[in-house]
Amino acid sequence: MDVIMPQMGETVAEGTLTVWHKKVGDTVSSSDILFEIGTDKVEMEVPAMADGVLAEILVAEGDTVAVGTKLAVIEGTGEAAALSPDAFEPEAPKADPAATPVPVAERPERDRSMKLSPVVRKLLAENNLSHTDVTGTGRDGRIKRGDVLDYMKGGAATVPTAPVPAEAPGAVSAEGITVVPFSYRRKMTAEHMVRSKATSPHVLQAVEVDFSGVNKARQAIGADWKRQEGYSLTFLSFIAKAVCTAIKDFPHINGHIEKDHLVVFDQVNLAIAVDLNFEGLVAPVIRDADLKTVTEIARATNELARRARAGELTPDDMANATYTISNNGSFGTLITAPIINQPQVAILSTDSITKRPMVIEQDGEDLIVIRPVGILAQSFDHRAIDGSYSGAFMRRVKEILEGKNWVESVS
Amino acid sequence: MVKKATAKKKTQEKSMAKKAWLNDDIGEENRLTMWRLQLEVRHVEQRLHDLFFQNLIKGTSHLAIGQEAISAGFGAAMRQDDYTFCTYRGHAHTLVRGASMTGMIGELMGKECGMLKGKGGSMHLTDVEKGAMGSYAIIGAHLPIAAGAAWQAQYNKTGQIAACFFGDGATNIGAFHEALNFAVIWNLPVVYVCENNLYMEYTPISEVTAVEHPAADRACAYGLPSIIVDGNDADAVFRVAMTAFDKARAGGGPSLIEAKTYRYSGHSRADPATYRPDGELDEWMKKDPIPMYRQRLLDFGVKEDVVSSIEEAVLKAVDEATEEAKASPPPPLESAYTDVWADGGVSWRN
Amino acid sequence: MAELTYREAVIEGIAQEMRRDNKVVFLGEDIGKAGGVFKATVGLWDEFGDLRVRDTPISEQAILGAAMGAAMTGLRPIAEIMFSDFLAVCWDIVTNQIAKSRYMTGGQVDVPLVIRTANGGGVRFGAQHSQSVENWAMMIPGIKVVVPSTPADVKGLLAAAIRDPDPVIFFEQKALYATKGEVPDGEHVDEIGKAKVVREGDDVTILALALMVPRALEAADRLQAEVGISANVVDIRSLVPLDTQTIIQQVQKTARVVTVEENPRLCGWGAEIVSIIAEECFYDLDMPIVRITTPHIPLSSADELEDEMIPSADRIFETVRREVD
Repeated sequence: MDVIMPQMGETVAEGTLTVWHKKVGDTVSSSDILFEIGTDKVEMEVPAMADGVLAEILVAEGDTVAVGTKLAVIEGTGEAAALSPDAFEPEAPKADPAATPVPVAERPERDRSMKLSPVVRKLLAENNLSHTDVTGTGRDGRIKRGDVLDYMKGGAATVPTAPVPAEAPGAVSAEGITVVPFSYRRKMTAEHMVRSKATSPHVLQAVEVDFSGVNKARQAIGADWKRQEGYSLTFLSFIAKAVCTAIKDFPHINGHIEKDHLVVFDQVNLAIAVDLNFEGLVAPVIRDADLKTVTEIARATNELARRARAGELTPDDMANATYTISNNGSFGTLITAPIINQPQVAILSTDSITKRPMVIEQDGEDLIVIRPVGILAQSFDHRAIDGSYSGAFMRRVKEILEGKNWVESVS
Repeated sequence: MVKKATAKKKTQEKSMAKKAWLNDDIGEENRLTMWRLQLEVRHVEQRLHDLFFQNLIKGTSHLAIGQEAISAGFGAAMRQDDYTFCTYRGHAHTLVRGASMTGMIGELMGKECGMLKGKGGSMHLTDVEKGAMGSYAIIGAHLPIAAGAAWQAQYNKTGQIAACFFGDGATNIGAFHEALNFAVIWNLPVVYVCENNLYMEYTPISEVTAVEHPAADRACAYGLPSIIVDGNDADAVFRVAMTAFDKARAGGGPSLIEAKTYRYSGHSRADPATYRPDGELDEWMKKDPIPMYRQRLLDFGVKEDVVSSIEEAVLKAVDEATEEAKASPPPPLESAYTDVWADGGVSWRN
Repeated sequence: MAELTYREAVIEGIAQEMRRDNKVVFLGEDIGKAGGVFKATVGLWDEFGDLRVRDTPISEQAILGAAMGAAMTGLRPIAEIMFSDFLAVCWDIVTNQIAKSRYMTGGQVDVPLVIRTANGGGVRFGAQHSQSVENWAMMIPGIKVVVPSTPADVKGLLAAAIRDPDPVIFFEQKALYATKGEVPDGEHVDEIGKAKVVREGDDVTILALALMVPRALEAADRLQAEVGISANVVDIRSLVPLDTQTIIQQVQKTARVVTVEENPRLCGWGAEIVSIIAEECFYDLDMPIVRITTPHIPLSSADELEDEMIPSADRIFETVRREVD
């Protein structure tokens, strides 16, 4: 009889074998305690449930294995009732399936030891996972397709209606405390952020921009745009266009930092950070953004955001970014110090644009006017460029946003 | 005095005979047609023979040199909308329906201008528009198929007939028996013509057949009369054909005709026919249908220049067709991927 | 909708088309006055008479040869070959003539005919009258192969076959003739070359044909009820043309596939489909592909022996239960 890791609770997927009470060669009877297991909730003694001789021990003391994993083999005479119906394969109502009289030559014995099926290999490779990351719930602990998919989702089955992070399965609640395990995506983001800060000496520079010129263009075509495209023409596309234009004068902004050199790109591949319902960030890329018009950028941004939220981004969508914009404007924040998307040189945050009183000079006089104003803040990597270069770039961006005839650009 | 009278009488008799001949049941026009058809078959077959030895025709080919009178006789007796079915030795039968010489020579040379676009070859010559409903390489298969074409004619009351040509060897295969029985019990307008050239492939038919006349002696098994005709006399063939066709068109059902003939070449290109007894070929060549027919036309008063000009025209046509076929390119590779299905495609999946 | 038996659906399919098109004619052994040995053509001779419904001698080569000749010259014949085993008797006409004439003649010849034949076992007729030979037909380029499992599919696909300009072999399963099913009223014409998902499921895709479809469905019910395995059953319906896209989609959906085939193992229809899956869905598979077939042995006639060989609902249940984790 195979001795397997029982399931000691509904939400428990694995257990640790803590102590063997018998050793190989010992005679056991069904009521003898054979081993002890521990989960994060309980410790338990488990009887042998069969008479016979303990022929094999497959899992050592201290090992943690998935529910259903074979722990030992008892060669014996009788079998008592199963510990729990779920823990063992249900007894076939007829004769043992191996006796099904299909000619042997037509059904060779299949080896079921840990093998990764093609679809599992594909999913692991595509998502940079190791099979050791994933708990297998198939026969003999095999990793099934569903196991990988569940792991990647972090177990979140539904999209929350209120903006509260989804609780992963296995979230354990006690009085006043809720433990929320990191989903796969959370873990990846966390690692990236730590690594970025540890690699780049971040410096933050900000400019205040008057968006009235941009606003004229938005008002000129905004209603038609919304009607035809189904979404609003926001400030982001204009900012992106201005950034791409400014990069032509400050090419070192558009590069990747290697150990001791900067790789500068002619192509501007602009990554736009997209939030996925508070479950994480992705930054899909608009290729050759400098060759696109404002409206083309707007469409591309919308499409990428849609695909990101639908989980339809392809590896091509994510590759080869040279500069990143993180748009936080919708939250009403004043300023954000973004973390650089490695190995890029810099990242720009856009925050809220609100009406504020501004002083302008007109005919030699100072006037107070109401303008839509927002802060653009760039974090740059001080290894590659200095404050003067970055500052000049930011000034250029501001000049373009405030000075260009945007109405002409969108008509 | 008597001598002169006798001579004059003889001349008068001769001239009356000619007139009668020209106005008889066959008539001059049909005879000139048959003359032309026999020449076309002979000269095309010989040209194909030559092209083999120039290695311009590959694969296999089965020539019917010496058997021209049968296809010519039946061909002249047919209506344009009648159907013919023949075997892989079918160049003659296809040609006499009016199929293009260029298409035929081109097909054997595997060219784009071939009547089957280079996809069927010598053994499957077909020209549906002309009623040549295929040459069949599996012995006996086309006998029931011809019955089916005759069934259509009967069903739609069109008056068409189907003429089905096969060799002596086919009389021993199962489909022969099934087709004959079937055609008789359904009373179908199909005429089965066995061209008995004494040899199957390399074996004399007499050695493997239980009866002397492989087709004619089996006719009674189907309640049909035994009909044997000299396959080297186009006029005799024509008369037998007309009788059978008229019977079929009138609702009188099928006929089984055995035409005796001989083939001059081997079974196929590869066969030098050394299995024939010495002298047999020479004997039969004395009965070569073409010189025989030429002489008959002259005897019965057709002018020499009429007879010769027909032959010249045929030779010219064969030469022109040969050049056209030679000039044609091989079929484009894409054409291999066409015409499995009615829509022209070849796909078995989506 | 009306409830018809499988054999009534055959009659209705033929009658519908014969009423519609005068070119449709029907020939075969005992099909006319006797209504067919399986009573699958009762009433057609009464309605259409001697000219259009013709009994033939026992001459399979003549039956198919005549059908081909008639089709080549403008009719649309339906030819019955009484038992599909007998296709071997006239196999030359099927494979060398009917399947190849259009191609060999550079597209000149049309052969719009249907060969109907009673296929399969389960009725104790012994090895020469019980074979499933749809795979023989699948292998020959130039013929379409249709294998319905329900009365509605029989009527609809037979009508489609008769209207098809290409030659079609229509395999009826003799053990299904008495089964009943809902058939749409009025003119009913289905589409050749489309498979059907007859039971939605998430855990394993079962591909089946003809008699194996109801058996797979029965096994699927048990699998759900007894072991919680949710089976996705697909009725292939046409082997040529093959609805490869539906098959691929259904395999990708569950990542597991099992075929259930009544034909003997070697070169069964499932072997081809499984090779397509192995080639085009390799990275979608979570389980080795499994074929459930009659073993590569002639069929016995005794009840228990025949039932042992042809895949049963029980064998399907056991195999899926054992293979799916």
